[in-house]
Amino acid sequence: MEYTVGSIAPIFLSPVIAFVINAFFGRKLPRQGDWLATLSIFISFIFSARIFGDFVFGQFATDFFIHKTFTWFDLSHGSQIWKVDMGIYLDNMSAIMLLMVSGVAFLIHLFSTWYMDHDEKHGRFFVFLPLFTSAMLGLVLSDNLFSLFIFWEIMGFCSYSLIGIYNKKEKAGDASLKAFMTTRVGDVFLLLGIVALWMLLGSVNYVDIYAAIAEGKFDGQSVLGISFATFAALCIFLGAMGKSAQFPLHVWLPDAMMGPTPGSALIHAATMVTAGVWVSLRMYPLMVLGDITWFIAVIGAITAFGAATIATVQTDIKAVLAYSTLSQLGYMIIGVGVGSYNAAFMHVITHACFKACLFLSAGSIIHSVHEQEMPKLGGLRKYLPYTHFAMMACTLAIAGIPFFSGFVSKDRILGDALYYGFMSGQNPLLAIVPILGFAGAGLTAFYMFRMMFLTFYGENKQHHDNHGHGHGHHDAKGHKSHGHDIHHEHLDVRQNVPLLILAVFTLGFWFSGTLTGQSFGNLFGAKTEWFKILVEAPQVEKFVNHKREDFSKMDTREQSHLEHAHYHHQTGYAGPNPDEHKLHSAHTIGAIASIFIAFAGVLLAFLMYIKKSVNPWATRFPGLTKVLQNKYGFDDFYIDVLIKKGLLGLNRGLAWIDMGIYDRYVVDGAAAVNRVMYKVAKWFDNVVIDAIGVDGTGVAVNLFNLVLRIVQSGKIQFYFIMLVMVLASYIWTLNF
Amino acid sequence: MMSLGSYLIISLILFVIGLVVMLSRKNIVAILLGIELILNAAALNFVAYSRYVTNNLDGHIFSLFIIVVAAAEAAVGLAIVIRFFQIKETIHIDEATQLRN
Repeated sequence: MEYTVGSIAPIFLSPVIAFVINAFFGRKLPRQGDWLATLSIFISFIFSARIFGDFVFGQFATDFFIHKTFTWFDLSHGSQIWKVDMGIYLDNMSAIMLLMVSGVAFLIHLFSTWYMDHDEKHGRFFVFLPLFTSAMLGLVLSDNLFSLFIFWEIMGFCSYSLIGIYNKKEKAGDASLKAFMTTRVGDVFLLLGIVALWMLLGSVNYVDIYAAIAEGKFDGQSVLGISFATFAALCIFLGAMGKSAQFPLHVWLPDAMMGPTPGSALIHAATMVTAGVWVSLRMYPLMVLGDITWFIAVIGAITAFGAATIATVQTDIKAVLAYSTLSQLGYMIIGVGVGSYNAAFMHVITHACFKACLFLSAGSIIHSVHEQEMPKLGGLRKYLPYTHFAMMACTLAIAGIPFFSGFVSKDRILGDALYYGFMSGQNPLLAIVPILGFAGAGLTAFYMFRMMFLTFYGENKQHHDNHGHGHGHHDAKGHKSHGHDIHHEHLDVRQNVPLLILAVFTLGFWFSGTLTGQSFGNLFGAKTEWFKILVEAPQVEKFVNHKREDFSKMDTREQSHLEHAHYHHQTGYAGPNPDEHKLHSAHTIGAIASIFIAFAGVLLAFLMYIKKSVNPWATRFPGLTKVLQNKYGFDDFYIDVLIKKGLLGLNRGLAWIDMGIYDRYVVDGAAAVNRVMYKVAKWFDNVVIDAIGVDGTGVAVNLFNLVLRIVQSGKIQFYFIMLVMVLASYIWTLNF
Repeated sequence: MMSLGSYLIISLILFVIGLVVMLSRKNIVAILLGIELILNAAALNFVAYSRYVTNNLDGHIFSLFIIVVAAAEAAVGLAIVIRFFQIKETIHIDEATQLRN
């Protein structure tokens, strides 16, 4: 098992090549190059699968990693180190993430070739899609925060382009701007955090940061009155909040559905939003050192619950999914905050599978029915059987039904949150984290089944109402409904097979310990899952005195300086944990509670929308529904208060400073000074330079001229006479 | 027997004739001829002194130089005269007063 750069770099480079070719020659290629983009992602997938196989089944140690680096630029002088490295950092976590990103992105590309067929933006879409994927793969491979930031911004640009790809629609343009500007707020903080770390450590390599934490280089450093670690961790987490759409920077994600549905799938599942969670996980030791994990947990809890409540009243199928993404991202952030590192990461993976599938299913529905408002849908089960099957599997997964993947990951996060909130002796106010988490889990089950029931069950309203008129509704693809009959879905490699493949991975046993044979049928035994063994929070002490490897050198398995810890040697938590019993009971309670809550949510949805024996929210709590439909007024708050009052007021203040102070005193004052200077200079110029210098020279020349013109008569023979006389006089004086 | 004195007298006669021609004639070609006579007087002087006083070849070489320079100078001078004639249609020396005033 040898790793050269040549066996890692194609993961990132092949989509980049596809991007370049499609960007410049896409129009000339058959099908505008969509096959090329899909093929390039498949190449990435093959290389990722090899790495995944080596890392996961080759039984590397938990903390085995490959780190290849070269110095990009070096501004060091003296003992102060300031340099930026570029390189590849590959550990178990990146191996799993690479496989997920490339695999999910490949299926999304495959689906897009069907979905975007005959669309006017087909070619353009397949320019940005591979670039987006390559940026995410590059971000996962990065070994430092600088290159991470570069890929982070490329993704920001791609999301902007994909959301606003229908650039003739004003709403799409607004949504893309909103996404760009909102994430920009977070990005500024991320950059600030990176620069702060660079200032202190002289390097932003993960390895160097971990080593610095272990060596205590942060001790006693402070900035702006708070500890340096807190400042840097907070800045980086604010960046993650922008990208992962956490409260209060969440407003862009629901609008991001203005783009084509597969683009949304890519943004919501495999790339973009997981980048924020990714950087939080990579910088987890810094977050712990900065003591902001409680803040992370609270932000995650607010997002998880708040987004779930909004999702219960949305009528657009994609809006429900968008808010569910927000909510699930909240769970990942809770996981980071409460210290269930690998469960948070596992939720990234499980969520990517089921959310990509949900969005692609929604795309399949929209493309087949040309309608995305749920009240106008219904009874689609008969027409779209494969889509129904896939979407139902994903809904079961996201709702946290046992034996599905969402249960495995979310339950672990909730169990840890329960322990964190009630049993670990923290501030009692932090009990809000598990409470909001469990409430959000119940709501998740409710709104997801509400979506399923409204879309696939009940009567089909499309089929017999208004054919051809009545609902001239533009869906996200810009189609106009022309009232055609819904075609029965056939099994198609590009339409349903990606959904069905993704649906397979919503089963829980892939992620729980069942696959590796440690906990067959053991639903609550979280200790022996392969995720648990392979992924652990970075042990910073191990990075001290880490020897760098040259970029061109081959890595072999034997070069690992750490002992191989095998699956069977390690049991759950490393080291003796006095609270292990408590933790175990918290997990058991959490699992039982979340099963109960999930089924309660499903039952409620069933009663409301199938049996119709319970009135829906709208009729029961009209006031609350209105608040939720306004999304708690965040959009209005940002526009009316922050922008109209705050920003415009600030602008007026700045204008007053500019016009009142700067213009009046500085600019006009400078003008007055200039006027005096001008007068002095003019006098000097007229009198000294012109009168004395220039005219004086003329007068002097004139005087000489009067004398010289007598001699210079122009008669050459006169000159000869003069010459002879001078010579004669010379000889005369010589001789006498 | 020829002596140094007779050479010097010939040379002096040539020089004076050349000087008079140069100063008195108004024809530019005549003035150039006068200059040639003066140069030849000088060359004759060099050869005479070289033969009777120093008794080496320095003077001969110098007179060769003078002949070469005189040829070059005559070429340039005659070219000027031709151009002058083309412009003014005369070779009268007093017409060459364009730089005046």
